[in-house]
Amino acid sequence: MTTIRHTLQQEVFQPNEERLLAACHVEKLYKKKKASFLCIVSNTKPPLTISLIQIKQSEKTYKRKRSWNLVELKSVDGKNVLADNLEFDLHLDKLYRWVASSAQERQLFIITLWRQSSKYFLKEKPVFKNVPETWIREDVLTPENKFISSPILTLENDITEDFKAITDKEQEDLSSLMANCEFAISNAEAFMEVLARDLSLLDGENVQYLLASEAKVESLMNLLESAVDEADKIEQRLDEYDEILCHVKETMEKMEKKNSMISTVNKNNILLLKELEIIIKQLDLPRKFQDILDDADLTNTQGLKQAIEAGNALRDAMNCQLDPALLRMSAVQEQRKKFEKYKDKFSRAICRQLNNLFIHYGNHKGESDRNTEGLVLPQHSMVHKELIPYTELMHWIKIMDRKASEALKKVYTDSLGKLYDRDVHNLFEAAKEKIAPLGQVSTPTRNLALLGLDREQWTLEVISDDRQRYEIIIEQVLTQLEPVCLQEQQFCVTFFQLDILSPTSKNTQTTLDGMGAEVNVLPSKKAEKQVHEEVRNMMTSLFSCLEEELLSFIGYIEKYDPFHCMYVLVHLNQHVMSAQSSFLSNTLASVLIHMKRTLDRFMQLQIDSIKDCKIARKSKCGILPYVLNLEEFAKLADVLLKSDRRIDLEKWYIRLVDTMIEFINVHANEHHKTPPQVIKMENYHYLYSLLSQLKISVLDNQRKEAKQKYNEALAAYVTHYFGRPLEKLNIFFEGVQAKVASGVKASEISYQLAFSKQELRKVISQYPGSTVKKGLESLYKKVEKHLSEEGLVQVVWRAMQEEFIRQYKMLEDLIQQCYPGSMIALEFTIDDILNFFSDIARSH
Amino acid sequence: MSKKPTSQPALHKVIMVGSGGVGKSALTLQFMYDEFVEDYEPTKADSYRKKILLDGEEVQIDILDTAGQEDYAAIRDNYFRSGEGFLCIFSITEEESFQATQDFREQILRVKNDENIPFLLVGNKCDLEDKRKVSFQEASERAKQWGVTYVETSAKTREHVDKVFYDLMREIRARKMEENKTSNGKGKDKNKRKKLKCTIL
Ligand SMILES: Nc1nc2c(ncn2[C@@H]2O[C@H](COP(=O)(O)OP(=O)(O)O)[C@@H](O)[C@H]2O)c(=O)[nH]1
Ligand SMILES: [Mg+2]
Repeated sequence: MTTIRHTLQQEVFQPNEERLLAACHVEKLYKKKKASFLCIVSNTKPPLTISLIQIKQSEKTYKRKRSWNLVELKSVDGKNVLADNLEFDLHLDKLYRWVASSAQERQLFIITLWRQSSKYFLKEKPVFKNVPETWIREDVLTPENKFISSPILTLENDITEDFKAITDKEQEDLSSLMANCEFAISNAEAFMEVLARDLSLLDGENVQYLLASEAKVESLMNLLESAVDEADKIEQRLDEYDEILCHVKETMEKMEKKNSMISTVNKNNILLLKELEIIIKQLDLPRKFQDILDDADLTNTQGLKQAIEAGNALRDAMNCQLDPALLRMSAVQEQRKKFEKYKDKFSRAICRQLNNLFIHYGNHKGESDRNTEGLVLPQHSMVHKELIPYTELMHWIKIMDRKASEALKKVYTDSLGKLYDRDVHNLFEAAKEKIAPLGQVSTPTRNLALLGLDREQWTLEVISDDRQRYEIIIEQVLTQLEPVCLQEQQFCVTFFQLDILSPTSKNTQTTLDGMGAEVNVLPSKKAEKQVHEEVRNMMTSLFSCLEEELLSFIGYIEKYDPFHCMYVLVHLNQHVMSAQSSFLSNTLASVLIHMKRTLDRFMQLQIDSIKDCKIARKSKCGILPYVLNLEEFAKLADVLLKSDRRIDLEKWYIRLVDTMIEFINVHANEHHKTPPQVIKMENYHYLYSLLSQLKISVLDNQRKEAKQKYNEALAAYVTHYFGRPLEKLNIFFEGVQAKVASGVKASEISYQLAFSKQELRKVISQYPGSTVKKGLESLYKKVEKHLSEEGLVQVVWRAMQEEFIRQYKMLEDLIQQCYPGSMIALEFTIDDILNFFSDIARSH
Repeated sequence: MSKKPTSQPALHKVIMVGSGGVGKSALTLQFMYDEFVEDYEPTKADSYRKKILLDGEEVQIDILDTAGQEDYAAIRDNYFRSGEGFLCIFSITEEESFQATQDFREQILRVKNDENIPFLLVGNKCDLEDKRKVSFQEASERAKQWGVTYVETSAKTREHVDKVFYDLMREIRARKMEENKTSNGKGKDKNKRKKLKCTIL
């Protein structure tokens, strides 16, 4: 390679005044055998340019093939960094892909490329990719690497890197120096001597200057030393001051602590004082009150007023909010004991007074005069009015002495309860007497009001006037209850504070009996429920016999009017809805439920009676009892059907009428004379008409069903009974039709032996006009005998006439078809038939 | 105390006649059940019965609602025969139905053989004034000629519905009373007289 490089330098580059820097024997990738040399060349004359030149060898001569300026080089791609890799790409005007013949050449070539480009391109140095790091480092030219450099390369380095020109300034100095010695150029030795002499002179002077400055430095040092001493002293002083200040600070801190302690003590004292003041204020019961409590006079208004005032003061004192710890104080305990005594005494006084009053009022007459006519439940507002002044005391007792309060409540309910029992009892007895004098023997009507019974039997003993009277009486009674119950309930709620819940547990912090209602807070829903229950309990004890009396009264009405459940339900319901007294509303509601059951029983009995209905052995069945009775029944039930509780009845109505529809069908088969179709027809017709009139909306389906069943029965009756008055003709032509169906032509029927014209004439002759007329007349009579209603006779007869004409026409048609031209005809014409009909009409 | 239902109330038998679609059924249903049926469903024959108070007296009315369009008029003979009074109805919106009343009238007279049979000429659908084809004048004249009353009704608005039924029943009642008085004399129909005796107690 060296020889080739030499040859290249000599033959190709030297003549152009160029210098070969590196060369590499390469082939183009993928185009082997086209070997050439890639050379890096620099020119030897400025301006310096580096070129890449591809040289081709042909026989013994070398030729330039291409050349690029190094500036054109954009990137070098070594492909990979393995040492034995031979490929590399150069991106110049386009991408050139090469394969070197030896790794060493390749390495040297790339290094040279890198070095040249880093030297000559300041900006936009070509990119070197996939080339070992060590090749493209600054120190790539360290001696270790030098072995690969060519001698030419080394030479180049010496020239460019070790030469340093002297600066302009130095040059100037030098020239002026030399100008001072005209002889300098001519006599260098003399010039040197002059220079040496000058130098020694200058040295001497320099030394002297140095010596003179030493003494001055020494004095300066001394000064500095003394200054340092002074500074030390000052520092010592400062330390002393610092110590003193520390002391002061500590003292101050201690004082501060003491100060805050004093203020705490002060505050505590104030608080304590306040607390004491509160305790004393709370637990103090003025002398005046003590006296009153000791000897309370509850019989007059003045005394009552004072007593209430004193009692409230005691209550407040006893119920004051004290810290539990304070309760341990003996003074407090003592005071409490005192209070307890007052409380007991006062409580006893109240109980005595109220007890007396309650028992006294238990005999109260009531405001209204018993003897006036009408039904009256007396009110006792006088009692309430007289007790009202004691309300606060009652509340006091409730808080202060639960047991006593409960006992009082019991006395009240017992005493007043007796009063109300008597009143209520009297009211209902009077009401019963108004229904019917007790002495009068009532005929039990209960079993006579059943739908399934015969009309005659079913007739109620109760006429509507009586029923109206019963209705008025029950309404009066119910109206009486409301004001009395409401008044009593309102009084009880205020007087016994039923709307404020009593604590369920004792407050253990104090020895007090109760601490007021606020102590335990129930969820409001639950609390409300509890309140209601309290009220109800009390009212129930007061009016313990009310429900029973009311039920017995209703039972009494029932004896006279089995239909009572209809209107009693309505009136009860109205009062349940309107009652302002929750107790009364509840009581009436429970009676209402009872009545609802009575109604259910009653309706079930009605349904059972329909099922058990016995068919009378009359000559005509006619309308069945329960269908007939339904109208009257509906009239009696109307009051309930028009009320808010109609649903109770409606569902029964549906069952009732469904049962009727079902059992008309059953009973239709049970009459000894009337055919079932007639029974069904008449009854469904009647039921349909009745339901149309009643217009009970829930029964609309039943109405439609009845109509449909009526139409079915009508059709069944007509086809069954009208049957075929021309029976033999019918049978004859049925045979004809069968033949036709089996394939015989209509026109050839007459050739069949059984259906010859002769045979036909024979049959026809059996039905002369007079016979037919007789048949129709007897049929009409039969219809008249079967049916109970003339209107339906017309409907049925009309249908039968039409049926007969239809059959006649059918026979005529068949004769026309099967015996054409035979001149055979029935022995009567359609006009004859119409005349028969008219005759029947006229003879009727 | 209580009324025993042993004595049946007097029964008056009314027949509705007239062409199809004039409103015979509509009038009957309105009178019976206070309802008006909008859709037209041709009738064959329907019988209705209702208890009502006629001038304070409880009576029973039997209404026979008919088709009016039978193929053969003779079929009607029987129920005409059974009727005690007739409401002969046409629609004032239909000339033909008015003409048809003539035939009905004749047939009734023929079957009943009685010039004075209780009978009302009724012009129905008088709510449809804007569709009127038969004038009040014209219908009144015909009624006058027959010696009967003419009333215009609407089964839809219920106008004069009760009136025609009640007026007819009054006529029937009056007729029966009259016959009852003269029953010892020359009664035309022995059968009928016997029946009337049973009814009026
Ligand atoms: N606007 C009106 N329509 C009526 C009146 N009466 C009957 N209609 C209607 O006329 C049609 C026939 O009535 P309908 O009573 O069935 O006639 P019928 O064949 O005589 O029984 C039905 O659609 C009815 O709604 C009425 O007074 N006014
Ligand atoms: Mg009709």
